[in-house]
Amino acid sequence: MSVLIVDDHARFRARARRLLEAEGYDVIGEAGDGASGLAAAAALEPDVVLLDVHLPDGDGFELAGSFAAGVGPPIVVLTSSLEVEDVASLIPGSAARGFVPKDQLSGQALAAVLA
Amino acid sequence: MKVVPRCGENAVTAPDPSLYARIERAVARGLAQTSAPDEAYAIALAAIGVTLGWTFGAVWEEDESRDVLTAVQTWRRDPTAAEALAAMTPQLALPRGTGLPGQVWGSGQPAWIHDVPDDGRYPRAKAMAESGVHVALCFPIRSNRGIVGAIEFFTEEWQEPDERLLECMDSLGSQIGQFVERRRSEAAVRHSEARMRAMLATALDCVVIIDREGRVLEFNAAAERTFGYTAEEAAGREMGELIVPPSLRERHRRGLARYLKTEQPRVLDRRVEITGMRADGSEFPVELTITRIDVDDGPLFTGYLRDITDRKQAEAELRASRTRIVEAADTERRRIERDLHDGAQQLLLGLALDLRLARNSVGDDGKVSSLLDEALEDLAEATKELRELARGIHPAVLTDHGLTAAFAMLVGRAAIPVTVREVPAERFDPSVEATAYFVAAEALTNVARYAEAEGAVLEARRAGNRLVVTVSDDGRGGAAPGSGSGLRGLEDRVAALGGDLSVHSPAGAGTTVTARIPCASS
Repeated sequence: MSVLIVDDHARFRARARRLLEAEGYDVIGEAGDGASGLAAAAALEPDVVLLDVHLPDGDGFELAGSFAAGVGPPIVVLTSSLEVEDVASLIPGSAARGFVPKDQLSGQALAAVLA
Repeated sequence: MKVVPRCGENAVTAPDPSLYARIERAVARGLAQTSAPDEAYAIALAAIGVTLGWTFGAVWEEDESRDVLTAVQTWRRDPTAAEALAAMTPQLALPRGTGLPGQVWGSGQPAWIHDVPDDGRYPRAKAMAESGVHVALCFPIRSNRGIVGAIEFFTEEWQEPDERLLECMDSLGSQIGQFVERRRSEAAVRHSEARMRAMLATALDCVVIIDREGRVLEFNAAAERTFGYTAEEAAGREMGELIVPPSLRERHRRGLARYLKTEQPRVLDRRVEITGMRADGSEFPVELTITRIDVDDGPLFTGYLRDITDRKQAEAELRASRTRIVEAADTERRRIERDLHDGAQQLLLGLALDLRLARNSVGDDGKVSSLLDEALEDLAEATKELRELARGIHPAVLTDHGLTAAFAMLVGRAAIPVTVREVPAERFDPSVEATAYFVAAEALTNVARYAEAEGAVLEARRAGNRLVVTVSDDGRGGAAPGSGSGLRGLEDRVAALGGDLSVHSPAGAGTTVTARIPCASS
């Protein structure tokens, strides 16, 4: 399963890539903000976009809609350093499939959301 | 009139019948020329003394504090006449009944004596002998207050008692007494009036007196300076048209009319803040107190006004400065939260992912895997604490998503069921949102801690240009005003933004915390 990681923290992107690849995911790209993320998604057509909720050029809950509106749209999974209680009210209104807190991220956690 | 010649003395002629009339005329003419009460005595003494052609005279007045008579004025026919009497008289203080004036003061009757006996009742018997006078007459000074003194005259002539002269003198005593008293009370009124004028003129507050029609009767110097009219210009003008801005004039007039009709004061005797208008039409804030003065021809009203432009400005500056301090603190808190998020928090999150990867790759080999498990547990704890710290400093959800999401977060984290009734979708100034959020968070914490409530309701609604945040619970109530010290701190925060925070907590009927925060959408 191919994954695009969209997050403004390079350190997190590198760790997340390493972990997900070790657990069998194919991380095909990384982007540091919403605009380059959307461009990458259009070019790479990933199965999944792991999207940070707080990006320098926008809010992940809204951006999820833009990703989901693309051609052969990817599944959007939101992630954040916040806990699920903090953002619970914002998830239902967004186009994202689900939410994984960053410190809980693993292949398993991602699979649980995608299932 | 009988003449009693004594051996070796000058012959005495009978008084001219027109004498009495001449004395009265002389006194009346003299008094007409003065308005000074103390001059009146000197004039009366001279008028009588000269007309009678006698030697020496004195006016005695009562000294109320000592209950004695003292001589306040003396007269001599010429500068060498009655030397001994003139020297002694001013030094005496006569009790009632002592000396000729003391006797007249005591009895209220005029008296006439020949050669006084030297027996101690007359302290000046010797002085009279030395001065060569033989006959004295004395009559009381009467005023509305009663007998207030006596006037005496001495002569070297041997004169028999003259009843008509005494009667004439008795009547003059009343005239002189009343004249002096009237002049004195007029002078007292003038002095009092002068003091009042000086007080009005030097008062720092504007003092404006109006009649029941609202017409200006008094307009003091401070009012002249403040409003830019002279007292002459202001006098007789309607106050409303003079110093009340056109937009408030009708209200002012209606207020006065209503008061006169109903006698129900609304603004009497208390300080109110209104807008005043200067002669050039400029408006300014005024503190006003109106009092009522009741005089014979209806009530008058005194307005005490003070230009409070400086105070208002200082208050506004203080408010602005407090708001700036809160805003600066909020900006700083948001920055700290962001720094924590971008720095330490990301490091810890990356570390967690690396450790999980390491843990997964070592399998369950016992020693290393349990070390890694422990490290992951501690790391989860540290991440949680850091996250709570960041949220306490300034919740990122509030910054990014506003009150609706932030309140939802509070509800999700509350220890008791909380219903959110209403929250405006619009965004407000960051400090307004932060204040609303922290009030709600603190109030909900207090509900969970102290209220023994089944649930709570959280509401924020916009009322005009205020954001009203309410947290109410169904708990035991009775929260003391000082309890929940976190809320006390928030009261200052709300006040710094120009709002107010109140706690309503009747025993047994739950607690409602309400914050009213001035707001504008951002």
